[in-house]
Amino acid sequence: MRRRQFLKYGSVVAVFTTATVSLPSLLAAQIADPGDLPTGDDADFDLEIVDVDVELIDGSTVPMYAFSHAGQPPSIPGPILRVKQGDTVRIDIRNSSTKPHGFQILGQTNAATTGIAPSEGDGDDKVRIEFVATKPGTYFYVDGDNAPINRVLGLHGALIVEPTNGYADGAARKKPMPYPAGSATANMKSLFTAFGEATIDGKQARFPGKPWQAGREYVWIFNQIDPVLCRRIAAGENPSASEFQEQFHPRYFTINGLCGMDAAHDKATCPTGHVGEPALIRSMNAGLATHSPHIHGNHVFVLTQSNANGVPVYQQDLFEHDVWLMPPMMIKDVLLPFTTPPDLPPAPWRMVQEKYPLQYPMHCHNEISQTSAGGSYPMGLMTDWEIEGPLVTS
Amino acid sequence: MTTISRPIFDPQEFDTFGCHPFENDPATPDRITRQVYVERQVSSWNVNMKDGSQLQFWGFKDPTISGSDSPWPSKIIRVKQGQIFHCMFKPSKGAHTIHWHGIEPTPMNDGVGHTSFEVKSSYTYQWCAHQAGTYLYHCHKNTVLHFEMGMYGVLIVDPVTKSPDTNNPNYLYDPLPGDSAPGITTGAPYSAESILVFDDVDPRWHNLDHNAGMCGDDVGLDKFNPKYFLINGVHNGRSETDTKTVTKVVAGKNVLVRLANASYSRLYITLPVDAWIVEVDGRPLRANRAKGAFAAPRKLAANTRLEVAVAQRYSLWIPNIPRGDYRITGNFHHWITNKKHFDGTAVAKIIAT
Ligand SMILES: [Cu+2]
Ligand SMILES: [Cu+2]
Repeated sequence: MRRRQFLKYGSVVAVFTTATVSLPSLLAAQIADPGDLPTGDDADFDLEIVDVDVELIDGSTVPMYAFSHAGQPPSIPGPILRVKQGDTVRIDIRNSSTKPHGFQILGQTNAATTGIAPSEGDGDDKVRIEFVATKPGTYFYVDGDNAPINRVLGLHGALIVEPTNGYADGAARKKPMPYPAGSATANMKSLFTAFGEATIDGKQARFPGKPWQAGREYVWIFNQIDPVLCRRIAAGENPSASEFQEQFHPRYFTINGLCGMDAAHDKATCPTGHVGEPALIRSMNAGLATHSPHIHGNHVFVLTQSNANGVPVYQQDLFEHDVWLMPPMMIKDVLLPFTTPPDLPPAPWRMVQEKYPLQYPMHCHNEISQTSAGGSYPMGLMTDWEIEGPLVTS
Repeated sequence: MTTISRPIFDPQEFDTFGCHPFENDPATPDRITRQVYVERQVSSWNVNMKDGSQLQFWGFKDPTISGSDSPWPSKIIRVKQGQIFHCMFKPSKGAHTIHWHGIEPTPMNDGVGHTSFEVKSSYTYQWCAHQAGTYLYHCHKNTVLHFEMGMYGVLIVDPVTKSPDTNNPNYLYDPLPGDSAPGITTGAPYSAESILVFDDVDPRWHNLDHNAGMCGDDVGLDKFNPKYFLINGVHNGRSETDTKTVTKVVAGKNVLVRLANASYSRLYITLPVDAWIVEVDGRPLRANRAKGAFAAPRKLAANTRLEVAVAQRYSLWIPNIPRGDYRITGNFHHWITNKKHFDGTAVAKIIAT
């Protein structure tokens, strides 16, 4: 459903010279990655902004905005944009909504445009942004105009920058990692090196099974919906940002645009796999509420945390949480190790009567978010994840 | 205009996912001989609030203790790492569950209705904690309401070994060969312990029914306006003096502060003394490659704010505490506006003499 739209035109001459790739100054403290230089490869996208009616879990509908790949069905959040580090990324945006909109990628340089007027419909009124993708990780793209209103009303999505040299084990290249070898922290490399090892230093290790596999990942975007404000804005009201924030009273809490059972059934949302198949989860909060996602069955390692500008900061210390803090606009890449649930009675005990698949929930523990329209627990910000079977090693 | 439609769903499954979760009283699967046994039943209490009013709370009572001695919030459960744990749970007043928050057992022992079952009249939970640390236990039925109603308690998994330092004989966790934990004494040995669970209370919610809202009614569970702020069930007018929230220690010894947020607010904690974060969510901060641990303890300088997410746990280690009174302050902020709630401060104390 969310397909990679990634067009390669081969070796186009780089437009940016290496010296002018101006990283925000806050990045200075972080190690710049050699892979951040333009490779000359291109990634092109054609996006459209439209007005939509969104059907909620209780069957009611609310007017919102949505992104789509031009000519394709819109979705909230918008389609996942996947690029490689060093790519020259071109995004054409057409505004087919009735209101003006903007577009920007938070945390990338030269990746913003504002005030795109509603399209005349002649097909020529696209606005283009062009930038070189740096620092592998997870980024928000949003309509940054009228902030935070347009974003919260549906105009947000994920841009994922994949590393050019994403291996934790140097030249051996047996341990893929979604971060670049040149600037990932020592602990990140140690973790990804440990995946798939039955023993380490002669001792039984924690993560037998497979190394992490490129592409074994999920995106979880959280949001909240206030149907009253959605309707008022669709009816022509123009609250200021502060009025919106003051009056914001969400009644629906979504993960990837879905509530409760719908999210638990969504294959793109619900991590599945065997013991020994670690998965990356890119968690993002597009809304205004602070969420406390809590996962059952396994803890997660927090690998990255976005700074105030939306740039991922690679973590020196990999805290293992069963609840991780997600304030508004926070992005955290977390790693779900897919180990056997660790608090089963030990060998020689074996699970016989309780059989795979083992199902566990992930839900926000600020339980107000577990409701929809004032009740209906647990039809809120939750999903399931599933251990399909015992340890696999290949 | 384009409509983004809800995915197609099975109405019957929708009903059991939310409105009528599966209730059952099965035998414990793969049951083995236990090493620890506790019992819990469901009960209710009237608890004093700061303004003199009384509100009803629900929780877990230990039926082996006579009625009024079984407090709210529910008694702390302490087990040792590696013990086979059984808890016989007999709910009343409708179905409930116990979720062992942070413990990761099989789904049937995880206490979540839609992935297993809710307990109708009796079930024995079974698990074996593999890692010493700080956990919670709480009801996972209509959790939005039952957690607010007070159906929670602290669960501590203690390590197997004792510290050789006789002044600080207790470990937070067993140090392992190869552990690295720069800045602290590995294992975080301590003498005294302050265990603090912060909570906020909206009185309106305390008149709602057990199943309120579950079958699609709008009972206002999107509106949470906390009026009272508690630590360990003690309101913020008494929390600096009550024995449940004041810890006494001999100066010069080590103190362990275990923090948990059972509120629906953003919770900011400050201490007036330097401390080390030594555990998060039942996982010690240490590096040990073979054991798959990749973190170091983190210093929390005096008067630096630590935000504790809802249902998160942090352990803070204060080595060699100087003589003095220390106020552990929790500020409760609105989960959306991030504005501090009116009267939203609760303070516990450590007294080192
Ligand atoms: Cu309950
Ligand atoms: Cu919980």
